[in-house]
Amino acid sequence: MVDITVSVNGAARTGSVEARLTLADFLRDDLDLTGTHVGCEHGVCGACTVIVDGRAVRSCLMLVVQAAGSEVTTIEGLAPDGTLGALQQAMWDEHSFQCGFCTPGFVMQATAFLRARPDAGEQEIREALSGNICRCTGYQSIIDGVLLAARRGSEA
Amino acid sequence: MAQIAAERYTGASVKRSEDPRILTGGGRYVADIKLPGMLHAAFVRSPMAHGQVLAVDVSAARDLPGVVLVLTGAELEAMTVPGQDPLFAMMGGGGPMPEYTLLATDKVRFVGDPVAIVVAETRYLAEDGCDLVEVDYADLPPVASADTALDPGSPPVFANLGDNIIGPHKRSEFGDVAGTFAGADRVAGFRIDVHRHQNVPMEGRGCVASHDAESGVMTVHAATQGVHVTRMGVAMRLGMEPDKVHVLAGDIGGSFGLKIGASREELAVAAASRALGRPVKWVEDRGENLSASGHAREESFDVRAAVSDDGELLGLDVKMVIDTGAYPVMGTMVPGIIEMMLPGPYKLAALGFESTAVITNKASYVAYRGPWASETFVRERVLDLLAKDLGLDPLEIRLRNVAERTDPPVTMITGRPLVGVTTKESLERVAKLVDLPAFRRRQAEERARGRYLGVGLATFLEAAPGPRSPEGPSGPMGLEHMRLRLAEDGVVTLFTGQMPHGQSHQTTLAQIAADEFGVPFEQVRVVVGDSDVVPFGMTGGSRSATMTGGVALHGARQLKAKVLDFASNLFEASASDLEIADGEVLVRGDPDSAIAVAEVARQAASGQFDADVDTNLEVQASYDGGEGGWSGGSHCAIVEVDVETGLVKIERYIAAEDCGALINPAVVEGQIRGGIAQGIGAVLLERSAYDQDGNYQSATFMDYLLPTACDVPRIEIEHLQTVPLDADVNFRGVGEGGMIVAPPTLVSAIEDALAPFGVRIHEQHLPPARILELIAEAEPRR
Amino acid sequence: MKLPSFEYEAPATIADAVGLLAEHHDEANVLAGGQSLIPLLALRLARPGLLIDINGLRELSGVTLTDGWVVIGAMTREYVAEESEIVADRVPLLTAALPLIGHEAIRSRGTIGGSLAHADPAAELPAVARALDAEFVVRSQAGDRVIPAAEWFEGYLATARRGDEILLEVRFPAAAPGTGAAFVEVARRHGDFAIVGLAVSLTLADGVIGDARLAFSGLADVPVRAADAEELLIGEPPSPELFEEAARRATAGLDPPADLHGSSEYRKQIAAALVRRGLRAATDNANERR
Repeated sequence: MVDITVSVNGAARTGSVEARLTLADFLRDDLDLTGTHVGCEHGVCGACTVIVDGRAVRSCLMLVVQAAGSEVTTIEGLAPDGTLGALQQAMWDEHSFQCGFCTPGFVMQATAFLRARPDAGEQEIREALSGNICRCTGYQSIIDGVLLAARRGSEA
Repeated sequence: MAQIAAERYTGASVKRSEDPRILTGGGRYVADIKLPGMLHAAFVRSPMAHGQVLAVDVSAARDLPGVVLVLTGAELEAMTVPGQDPLFAMMGGGGPMPEYTLLATDKVRFVGDPVAIVVAETRYLAEDGCDLVEVDYADLPPVASADTALDPGSPPVFANLGDNIIGPHKRSEFGDVAGTFAGADRVAGFRIDVHRHQNVPMEGRGCVASHDAESGVMTVHAATQGVHVTRMGVAMRLGMEPDKVHVLAGDIGGSFGLKIGASREELAVAAASRALGRPVKWVEDRGENLSASGHAREESFDVRAAVSDDGELLGLDVKMVIDTGAYPVMGTMVPGIIEMMLPGPYKLAALGFESTAVITNKASYVAYRGPWASETFVRERVLDLLAKDLGLDPLEIRLRNVAERTDPPVTMITGRPLVGVTTKESLERVAKLVDLPAFRRRQAEERARGRYLGVGLATFLEAAPGPRSPEGPSGPMGLEHMRLRLAEDGVVTLFTGQMPHGQSHQTTLAQIAADEFGVPFEQVRVVVGDSDVVPFGMTGGSRSATMTGGVALHGARQLKAKVLDFASNLFEASASDLEIADGEVLVRGDPDSAIAVAEVARQAASGQFDADVDTNLEVQASYDGGEGGWSGGSHCAIVEVDVETGLVKIERYIAAEDCGALINPAVVEGQIRGGIAQGIGAVLLERSAYDQDGNYQSATFMDYLLPTACDVPRIEIEHLQTVPLDADVNFRGVGEGGMIVAPPTLVSAIEDALAPFGVRIHEQHLPPARILELIAEAEPRR
Repeated sequence: MKLPSFEYEAPATIADAVGLLAEHHDEANVLAGGQSLIPLLALRLARPGLLIDINGLRELSGVTLTDGWVVIGAMTREYVAEESEIVADRVPLLTAALPLIGHEAIRSRGTIGGSLAHADPAAELPAVARALDAEFVVRSQAGDRVIPAAEWFEGYLATARRGDEILLEVRFPAAAPGTGAAFVEVARRHGDFAIVGLAVSLTLADGVIGDARLAFSGLADVPVRAADAEELLIGEPPSPELFEEAARRATAGLDPPADLHGSSEYRKQIAAALVRRGLRAATDNANERR
């Protein structure tokens, strides 16, 4: 067992964990942050995406021991107490999602992307989100949500 | 005739009430459930396609610290009641049924067939336990294809069946088949194949089962399309009274037909919970989902078409083979639906149809969004191929054959009337939107530059629910029920057996009820997912728009009448002088008289009225679908094929659809786009592949490829002016249509792009390598 | 798919890491970015007794230009190399290839050294290294070795790195003036492993090709240099006819493997197309960079 301390959504969280425990499973099972979803466990679907030290990362492809000393943000940490941040609000307005299982991964990936590329156009957004899989929407409504958030961000 | 009330919400893209929790990580899926004392299950699964199980040694697994219980197939057999798959039992089959045990005992029949269940403190430990289970198998020759299964000499996958052909093999004829074919100018023959692909919801199957020994109640937290079907399945196999099984469902991460009833694994989990007296959770991982949860669409068709020289499709004669996999669930039911739908919106005069369902050593054939979709694929392919033979344009041949909307309506040769169909309008609309003549000019210019563009179109009908039938709705897709209650807090509460898994019912049904009853949208609550509390029902067949929308509308009307009857006790007015608007009950024309609906509800609950006053503000409503009606539409795609690599780019995709009146346009469009995306996936990317020994080859997302944001273009959707059939309910289903008609649309476009090479396409799966093969194999026709 | 159990060490120094490898190399895997290894662990295809996590070895990260070589520390994250101006300026082929590796989230964690030590023949970086004759510096308790790319890739997921060695850095020759580069590939979807990929680097001087490097991914169990095609190109002015002939030479005698995504014949066909397209793109890039 390994003792670790990870900062998650701004709070220091400690645990005594098996080395083989993934960051995704630590967040979900040890910290009860079930907003991060597990869709494939081999790094393709993106449902497990969180932000680690400012970069979008697939939490199923990180051991939690590797996150020791890092700053992790999950979907629960984007906006206080279940309120909606600007991206989430735009996605609500655009009917971005249906079943919701892929949603946290998309929101985290898009959040990281928009911070780096607030002026991105549609093709660039599609490429940036092409590592997140949605089975319900055909993506157009998700792209529209991101575009709306980008537009509102630039008008603000 | 009553009028629809406010119409403030119905028809508008009201923002979803599901979204605040979905967008903030507050959704509650099966994997999120934690109960005190909960354990985790994993399954030992067969590595081979066909084998005898000689011995199962679980001793090392049982000894592993953290493993709490290991059950073999034989032990589970002793703890459960033999029976059929619950969905199969509900839909009805026909013919002798294969006999098999809950988990494999003497035989394994496909790669992934579950052999034992290991229950441990964590999923990690449960998988460690599975590694320690030693199973002694003897290989048996695999039945790895339909052709092998059709061979009477193939080793029977089920001992009690004797061969690998399941279900009655019958031939039906509609109209004068022999005469039509004898008298036709031409008879053309085609062999058309649809490949195996699968649902792949982003959330796999799973459940948490919790048996309470004291009360004898089994609580199942399920991911299911219907809590009652799951409940019946669990009760039957565990030998329990149905009212001792309580099924709950929260948020569900997609299903597309996969999560219906109770799978073998879920039943084993329930049995394990009962044996342990503790909650047990099983969440299928992606490998299990891809290899073991079930596949769909593996069908082949030998088609003869009787056609006139000017392109009139007179008759079809079809022989179908469907590969139902190793444990038939619904594969035997699909041919019947295909037979019924084959004529489509065309004036087909004669149809001969026969089907054979075969058993193979593959995962089960399960329902996948529009399970009968191949009827559209076959019919639309045949029309395109005939058009090419006859030198006709694909639009032209369809317009020549489409049934006009007449009164009385043209009837499909298989029985259903084509009432209210707007097929002709949708074909003309989509052709206009794409501007076919302009495209043909551009196509010619680009061909001269060595670029290969193509246009394709296809049309479809979906019985969502379909026209009124004289016998009324029947069977499991029968009457739709709803309980509506004005709760004490003034919230209009709808209890429905619908189980949304992306369809946004909690929003759309609230829109209808809010309008009909007269309260703000926020003052309606839709309750789903509790078998103790919701009436029988399930989500499927694209029926909820009509059936549940209809029962919500009529039920809200009935509830309103009841509330106004009661409210007349609070006013010096009779019920007929009262109305409800904006959450208030008032005397018509006297705004000062208004009392909040919440206050009326509170008064009803106060107990201060005489016994002859009905204060139970609740109704049980049922709906038979009214006049029903078809959904349908036409799609058109422009593609470019890179003939050096075989890669296909979709330049433009247009859908002209008619799903009746729209409850929520954004929801409708989302359903259409999602279905089209799955169609794109089927044609360009997705295949559930087995090798010749029955080894499954698409068990990760590196091999089973799903379309991404770079693969699905912006889709243009036009809503057609629909033909209203019913006085009140003209909402029709739209859930499956996109997936049904997108594959033939795309294949049509690809074939058109490759026309200079003489390519003809008789299959649905066109990965880049296959496209280059088709070009190489074709003979250019000048 | 949960990972199997293993012992875990996170050495703080290179010497510690090398010491662990010396003692345990038979049953140890080195964990760098984890984007290739962790899926293998999750699928239980790899079951090391010990995982040596080298993410704490900060001195293994960094990009420097030294004596005509761009030296990239093995633990340099792919996204760092992607954003590096030194790399963009002096190893344009690497800059061209990096955005094609998976998706941004993969490149947040994946490392240059990790990818090259994993040596998946379908991946982009091995083809780049092979094309440019990169050099691999490894260290064991016996000392350091420098292994040229031609000897580094030994087979499917197999390199010349001995079990007791750790990869310290990869050196790429700094591009000469007049260099143009391109990485072209045929992939089923954006971000997927290519069915076949091609790394192309060439130099143009006075309208004539001075140096030409072509290396394929996806045609064998190691990256494949198209030496015959390179020979043809050197000294010639770029032209469609030249590229066509180079494509013929590059694919003659190839016997690529078949899998779910493409037959052997298909791979040969697209390899030829990639040579034509890659040479065109590299030529354009050389003209842009001038």
